[in-house]
Amino acid sequence: MVYHSSFVDENGVNRACGCPLLPLKSHIKGPAPVSDQDRTDIVDEAITFFRANVFFRNFDIKSPADKLLIYLTFYINVALKRLEGCRTLAEGTKAVINLGLEKVPVPGESGFPFSGLFPLPQSHPEAGGQRSSVPNGFSFPPPSSAMSSNINGQILPYPCPHLAEFRRTSSKPFRALHHCLRIKPPGGRAAIRRDPNEVPCCAACGLSSPSRLYACVTCATVSCHTIAADGDSLSHAAAHAASMPHGHQIAVDVDRAELFCCACCDQVYDRDFDAAVVIAQTTASTLGGGSTATPPLQPENLRKRRRVNYLPWAPDLREQALIGSCSSPIDGATDDSYHFPRGLRGLNNLGNTCFMNSVLQALLHTPPLRNYFLSDRHNRYFCQNKSSDEGDSGNAGKKSGGINGNKSGRICLACDMDAMFSAIFSGDRAPYSPAKFLYSWWQHAANLASYEQQDAHEFFISMLDGIHEKVEKDRCKPHSEGSGDCCIAHRVFSGILRSDVMCMACGFTSTTYDPCIDISLDLEPNQGGSTKKAAASSNRTCNGEADCSSQNCGTSTLMGCLERFTRAERLGSDQKFFCQQCKVRQETLKQMSIRKLPLVSCFHIKRFEHSSTRKMSRKLDRYLQFPFSLDMSPYLSSSILRSRFGNRIFPFDGDEPDATNEVSSEFELFAVVTHSGKLDAGHYVTYLRLNNQWYKCDDAWVTRVDENIVRAAQGYMMFYVQKMLYYKASDKQVAS
Amino acid sequence: MKSKSSVNRPPTPDVLEDTPEREPTLQELINIKLIETGEKERLMELLRERLVDCGWKDEMKSLCRAFVKKKGRNNVTVDELIHVITPKGRASVPDSVKAELLQKIRTFLVSAAL
Repeated sequence: MVYHSSFVDENGVNRACGCPLLPLKSHIKGPAPVSDQDRTDIVDEAITFFRANVFFRNFDIKSPADKLLIYLTFYINVALKRLEGCRTLAEGTKAVINLGLEKVPVPGESGFPFSGLFPLPQSHPEAGGQRSSVPNGFSFPPPSSAMSSNINGQILPYPCPHLAEFRRTSSKPFRALHHCLRIKPPGGRAAIRRDPNEVPCCAACGLSSPSRLYACVTCATVSCHTIAADGDSLSHAAAHAASMPHGHQIAVDVDRAELFCCACCDQVYDRDFDAAVVIAQTTASTLGGGSTATPPLQPENLRKRRRVNYLPWAPDLREQALIGSCSSPIDGATDDSYHFPRGLRGLNNLGNTCFMNSVLQALLHTPPLRNYFLSDRHNRYFCQNKSSDEGDSGNAGKKSGGINGNKSGRICLACDMDAMFSAIFSGDRAPYSPAKFLYSWWQHAANLASYEQQDAHEFFISMLDGIHEKVEKDRCKPHSEGSGDCCIAHRVFSGILRSDVMCMACGFTSTTYDPCIDISLDLEPNQGGSTKKAAASSNRTCNGEADCSSQNCGTSTLMGCLERFTRAERLGSDQKFFCQQCKVRQETLKQMSIRKLPLVSCFHIKRFEHSSTRKMSRKLDRYLQFPFSLDMSPYLSSSILRSRFGNRIFPFDGDEPDATNEVSSEFELFAVVTHSGKLDAGHYVTYLRLNNQWYKCDDAWVTRVDENIVRAAQGYMMFYVQKMLYYKASDKQVAS
Repeated sequence: MKSKSSVNRPPTPDVLEDTPEREPTLQELINIKLIETGEKERLMELLRERLVDCGWKDEMKSLCRAFVKKKGRNNVTVDELIHVITPKGRASVPDSVKAELLQKIRTFLVSAAL
């Protein structure tokens, strides 16, 4: 037996095409009245009965609401068909929203599925009412009642009914506006002007200075939208919308080129319009000169990463046997040395080598790097980079091999890393001497080979370079560094930076992408030279940090440094840049952003300052606050670009359709390298976070410390790993 | 429909279409001068930069966030937000920024008058 609609009471319900306009649980204003959120409406009913009703061949119509139920059942079917091919929630949401935006055939038009069931519309508005009532009810989001959906990791608001109506009634909605889009050179902001030098002013009050001027997209009247102090009387823009029959609600902000609905008093978004504005803006900044720079160059070394579903793995019988026969059990990992996790082992200082020890400790506990070496991906006995006799003879032979290795190209830092990983994770707790590694590194970087103190950061760069170089020479394949598939060092640490240089005169922007191993950050200047700067920075510390939640006033933070790093910076008049469009050197604006995040982000704080004017160097001992969990999304290219183009629905550089960025932009701190002492004489100490417990690695001594000590430490290099690669709890189980 | 006939019309009307000719006030004159020379755009860019530098923008952002959180994400319009935040925003612009901008405008006026 079919289920009939319970909405049989028709008192006070309007009809369109024989269908009652029943109340709907929607915040969008349409012809249908709004129902209470906690009551069941016709849409709920249709969804509830769908599974039952869809099987019936015949439906005995008892009330007009039944017709609606039939139509809705059909519509759900259509929606389900659309969802068939969608793999993710975001895709599905998008498909359903698109369906809701489509033109719905009304009774009497071709394409309407139930001819004869519904009477024809008497007038056009009725058809309009019918139309808009359907998408109203049916742009239902699959996840219960969220009123907006998430596409490309961006919150996508529901289209306002006035905008939807406007798009339906006009054939080419925003065509006229395209001629009026003006891009203003400094900053490249979009504006709406009929001719470039026009001074728009409100048609009602004649003022040209109010902050918000809107041009009606239907009749081109410009009105201001200054809200009266009492908030009751209508603004001129709202009054204009109200005075016209209909279709004059949508207006465009003349200074921002953003759409606004005067009836809803809210910003509205239109995909096509936003796309047109963004394209106009990018064209103005790149194609204007007719140069070779085509719209945003994609770095060619960015491959689309395909997502693979997680499959739990359990060894079958054969694999169990193999594991049993080929491995030896880990002996007493928990008994010895006060339950320190496996792999914590001090490194002996070989004579001012704390710079090396500190970085090595961090690298030895870098999850992706550790997994790589411990899973035998680079085996020192089978390494192709060394001569075969050396490889076979093992550790003893390696010493002699190292000495012979002067013949260039015989050293392999990755092999030494592998040897070190074996030693560190062997379970032996006695401090280890990385002498072999030091020797190999000396051969790699001959200019740094001495017992003098070195910079830890310099060592870090140099040794990753050493691991990389070896593989590069070996394979002779033209790998690009940024792609991260050349060697383990780059696979783990390499990201891509995007730098935009914009000409201040014409707005021409040149974009370059550079691979990076780490990000070097300037400490925020506390005491500026000029009085103006001092005023600005003191303000900044009071106000600016209020946003960075839970930050104390007056201290610089890592977030603050990153914010400065990605902020648009005006290059001084002394370092003018050659503009391809103007053909002369111009003042420029430079902005950095992160195009691709590495698996492990290393932040290097520039604590050693070299002043060329005073011909001296000094160390900045200022404290820098760093969070244990860091969200990198505000510093990504997509976020930076988005803020540059105003509020738009448009996928920007780096936006991936399935919102993987959102997941991978969260980072966890796992190692901090600190420096104490002066510029020329000091000591490096590493704090490691294992199983959410902090350990201080001071050369040969490893001690457990409280996290407050770490927070108070003067960080020099911070190592963050992507959250999904950081195992907070499960590490312990693996170790024990 | 009415809208059809005006589809191709540019969206800004003739400035002096039906308003009777009247003397523009001094304020308006200055405003027009500022726009024509492009000085207004430069000043606005400068102001944006200063407000970001001094943390004003971040402060406003967090105020807006707090308001939206309090009201619920679906019950806020841009107008409400502007209505609530504008007074606070005006009050918290640092005096140094105001002074700098005023100085710039003065300089412009002097140079424009000559």
